[in-house]
Amino acid sequence: MKLNEKVSRYLEKIPKSKLNAFISINKNAEKDAEKIQRKIDTNAAGRLAGYVLAIKDNIAVSGMRLTCASKMLENYVSPYDATVVKRIIAEDGLIIGKTNMDEFACGASGETSYFGATLNPSDEKRVPGGSSSGSAAVVAAGLCDVSLGSDTGGSIRCPSSFCGVLGFKPTYGTVSRYGLVDMAMSLDQIGPITKTVSDAALVLSVINGSDGMDNTAIKTKEDYTKFAKQKITGIKIGVVGEFFDGCDHNVEKNVRDGVEILKSEGAKIVDVSVPKTPIAVPAYYLNMFAEFSSAMQKFDGLKYGFRKEGKDLNDTVAESRSSLGEEVKRRILLGTYITMKEFRGKWYSTALKARESIRHEMRAALKKCDLLAGPTMPFTAFKLGDKIKDPVEMYLSDILTVSANLSGLPAASVPLEVKGMPVGMQLHADTGSDGKILFAAAAYERASK
Amino acid sequence: MKGVKIGLEIHEQLDTKSKLFCACPTDYREAEPNKSICPVCTGQPGSKPFGVNEKAVNAVIKIAMALNCKIVTNRPVQIRRKHYIYPDLPSGYQRTSEPIGTEGELNNVQIHEVHLEEDPGRFFLREGFVDLNRSGTPLIEITTEPVFDSPQHAREWLEKLASVLAYLDVTKKEEGTMRIDANISLNNGSKVEIKNINSFRNVEKALAFEITRQEDLLRRGLIVDRETRHFDEKMILTSPSRKKETEEDYRHMPDPDIPPLLIKKELAEKTKETLPELPQSKAKRFVKQYQLSGQNAENMVSDPYTADVFENVAKTVDPVIASNWFVGQLKKTLNYNSMTLRDSKITEKQLASLLKLVERQKITERAAELTLREMVLRPEEPAKIIENLGLLEFGDLNTIVKEILDKNEKAVNDYKTGRKEAFEYLVGQVMKITKGSADPETIRKALKRGAELK
Repeated sequence: MKLNEKVSRYLEKIPKSKLNAFISINKNAEKDAEKIQRKIDTNAAGRLAGYVLAIKDNIAVSGMRLTCASKMLENYVSPYDATVVKRIIAEDGLIIGKTNMDEFACGASGETSYFGATLNPSDEKRVPGGSSSGSAAVVAAGLCDVSLGSDTGGSIRCPSSFCGVLGFKPTYGTVSRYGLVDMAMSLDQIGPITKTVSDAALVLSVINGSDGMDNTAIKTKEDYTKFAKQKITGIKIGVVGEFFDGCDHNVEKNVRDGVEILKSEGAKIVDVSVPKTPIAVPAYYLNMFAEFSSAMQKFDGLKYGFRKEGKDLNDTVAESRSSLGEEVKRRILLGTYITMKEFRGKWYSTALKARESIRHEMRAALKKCDLLAGPTMPFTAFKLGDKIKDPVEMYLSDILTVSANLSGLPAASVPLEVKGMPVGMQLHADTGSDGKILFAAAAYERASK
Repeated sequence: MKGVKIGLEIHEQLDTKSKLFCACPTDYREAEPNKSICPVCTGQPGSKPFGVNEKAVNAVIKIAMALNCKIVTNRPVQIRRKHYIYPDLPSGYQRTSEPIGTEGELNNVQIHEVHLEEDPGRFFLREGFVDLNRSGTPLIEITTEPVFDSPQHAREWLEKLASVLAYLDVTKKEEGTMRIDANISLNNGSKVEIKNINSFRNVEKALAFEITRQEDLLRRGLIVDRETRHFDEKMILTSPSRKKETEEDYRHMPDPDIPPLLIKKELAEKTKETLPELPQSKAKRFVKQYQLSGQNAENMVSDPYTADVFENVAKTVDPVIASNWFVGQLKKTLNYNSMTLRDSKITEKQLASLLKLVERQKITERAAELTLREMVLRPEEPAKIIENLGLLEFGDLNTIVKEILDKNEKAVNDYKTGRKEAFEYLVGQVMKITKGSADPETIRKALKRGAELK
């Protein structure tokens, strides 16, 4: 099928979908498709030629809106491309649109968007997970080939687990964050959401690598496609006992079955322990709130974004910010409180210490094996409205995903073959060993088909 | 002044080609408003700092070294965010580094610390207009201990500091880039901070006003509030700022986008080796090497360009004569025209030629002065200026004096018998011919000498 036909089919299918997964559609998609098709026809096309991508709406695409699913940025058009977008376009990837998400990435269910909740393609009465809700839903529903999400505490892996797709959060610094709207700067990382391991490896190969525009990007460029083909004979997988505490029985069983499949493919299975898992959520939230409140400081209504005049400068800022959603406001307030206390050397530094001890434990566990395995989420997708009224319960659902961010480690949610709602198996590797996750995931993919 | 304690915070722009965290040029003065900008320095959603401009860090290290600071090499130096909301601050926080140098000293004034920070944009309140060209320009902040005991002391020291910065050649040369915050307390009372003063003279004026204001309050038994005030240049008074913020409100935190700076000991040591001779030691050397008075030496070294020109001129002209001219007539003439020696474009060769004529008494001081006045405006070889202006050289004066003496034998004899009017008559005759290009004192000397030979 020619790319323009493929794009036309997607463009027909998207408006018919009830998932509310897209915020903006690229108006030039058909023209772009023709351009790329001409390159394909003359054998001059890049590595992503033929791929149709969706981008989470907190990543800048020049000339398109960058809303972060917020009223604050409802009409903000990005004047520049994120580094990942530049790299995708350079390899002839076609961007079809920008996906729905939790407002400013604040949420684990996809329900906090100003544009309304995204629905789960497996069951439209259920949440798709968040915050990259749209990016996971569009891949699962076949509204594009692959997508990009961002992951601060599980925002790629949670919706991938709930929607039954592969979500990959690379090692912190592997992918430039330039153009990704800040949530918590020391935790944010962009990654692919795909149906297959080889697609994830390809997208990751295109977007990774050093970037002069992001100081935290590490100085390497890796080709991950080779990892998707390796055998896993002899690889050691540590099953983390604590990761199953409080986990749904059904999820536990599916994940343990998944581990068995890896074993049958040649992996060696060992039991390991990460006892500090319970402090990961409080450490994460303190850290994230503090950084988030700082990141949100620029949305004052003075330069761009929603503006409502007040009686003076401070009042105008306050009025403009009243456009933000409840969860965003809650996090800004908590973060502001924490950073004010920080002046007296209290909370943020303490959270950073807790973070350091978790990183230490995770890496110690990874000295004993190549990969850590467990569930991505302790449960499957819950019903819309079930948890949104109880922020603490919602926060606790991140318990298994935040450790990877706190430790800077790569982690992926691998979709398991299950009956009923999708379940994801989470694999962690040590810093820079992203490839190991890919070849274990590929082995599972081969064996389960 | 008794009980007065003044401390200063000096902000000066560093002379780097690009901004502190992005690649935009820093020559915003020449650019149209909002042209030297990019997503980073305008705080667009998703933009990130590229890293810390290394040249700016090196400049701060150099200045810290010249101010005899200890360079922080034993621990990472964090870049921190200071949060506040103002239209000229696009990201809602200002990035400032932790101290890079500490415990310094210059001219018996203790330096508390020296660090790096970014300049915000500019907000024109009346027009309601923001220009972000300046946003992200690197600044150094120098903080002194509260050791000044008078406004004058503060101003004099600021001049010394400006001189050191001029020698280091790593800060912006344009006028008005330096901004000063001054804090002052009387008798260990509340500390009042006066923000954003734009010149040394205004620092002195603002502090003088503040002392009067606080003394007046205290005399009446009132309390001096701990507060931030602004200096009104036109009214010459300070008034309280509307915004009241505590340190807690700034929510200082390490910037997660920027790994801390690690300053290597070797870099600090290497920087020390590249420091130029600084004004204090240069002045000492001038006194020793050229036998100048301490005052002349200090005066000349305050501007590195002048000091260099002097040294070159002193190769061919008597240094004492030259220095007297540098701090005397030359300075006076330049000040009168509000220019520096560099602005005047007078060459070393021109100056040396002129001073050689003075040294060899080829021209009168008066003629030299007039030549200099012309030279400052239209630099040229002094001989040519002397000719163009019709000024006299010494040889000419002596000829004229001889002529007058010969013509007026009676007056000469009267003078010799003690009649003062006769001498004044002779002086008048010479002045008439020389049309003011020789000063009366020189004429008198020449006449006396000439008459005695008769």
